[in-house]
Amino acid sequence: MAHDHDSHAISYRTYLLTWVWLLVLTALALGLGYAPINETLKAFLLVCTTLAKILVIAAIFMHLRYERVNLILLTFAPLILAIIMFAFTFPETLGTATHVIAVR
Amino acid sequence: MDASIAEQQRILASDWGGGRSPFGTTWSKFMMWIFIVSDALTFAGFLIAYGFMRRLSPVWPKQTEVFNMVLITFMTFVLISSSAVMAMAVGAARTANPKLAVRFLALTIVGGLIFLGCQAYEWTHFIEEGARLTHNPWGVAQFAASFFLITGFHGFHVFSGVVILAIVALRAALGKYSPDGVENAGLYWHFIDVVWVFVFAFFYLL
Repeated sequence: MAHDHDSHAISYRTYLLTWVWLLVLTALALGLGYAPINETLKAFLLVCTTLAKILVIAAIFMHLRYERVNLILLTFAPLILAIIMFAFTFPETLGTATHVIAVR
Repeated sequence: MDASIAEQQRILASDWGGGRSPFGTTWSKFMMWIFIVSDALTFAGFLIAYGFMRRLSPVWPKQTEVFNMVLITFMTFVLISSSAVMAMAVGAARTANPKLAVRFLALTIVGGLIFLGCQAYEWTHFIEEGARLTHNPWGVAQFAASFFLITGFHGFHVFSGVVILAIVALRAALGKYSPDGVENAGLYWHFIDVVWVFVFAFFYLL
């Protein structure tokens, strides 16, 4: 059985640096939340920030960068399926909606 | 005939021939990844349903005004910090240092408990302000419903994570030390952090 990933010890310093970067990205996301910018642009930038954070956590904290490519690809399955699900549901919200949510 | 035997031998010698992991990992870690992938789909469903409702609703309350964002940011800070400490616990477990691993695990558990405490505080205030699953003072019923569903489901994951980490820490303290067990628990904890990153961005900020 292959256990190549076990030999890749990540230093505590790397974990601390990753933690700092995650906090910086969180502060950036928080700033975007309050920024007086176009909502579409805000959504796009928040998606970028979120994806950056996810990649950092997955690559370093979850050690995914040391895993085999087939396992890495497997972890992308939810993201791809979520994009497909979003693509199927999003057009329904454009134009005249078939089910408008009531506001009291 | 010779060709088929050669093909059979080629398959047996490959990663998929049996007796070894095609993913280069232990079965328990691979099962944890499968669980994470399937659980991520559940959360993806919730968040996409939430986005769908947001798009269909003519108005939506401004979350940064409804929620205490200082508290939410603190919760995010706690969860990210606990994730970093959890990564260190895995590192300590891998370098055969169970005492240090237990200390890091205990710190991670404390982080999880602080997060749960903050969430309980947030829920209490939200309910006191009149938020219910079916209605709320901000007009759109789906606003509070999606809040309770998404943060509740995530909170239950945090609670489960704390229980799992407590069991792993206890086993390590008793000498039933398993670096694989610590790593698998760590993967689950990091997944909880990943989900919160999405919730923080799309539910509270967008």
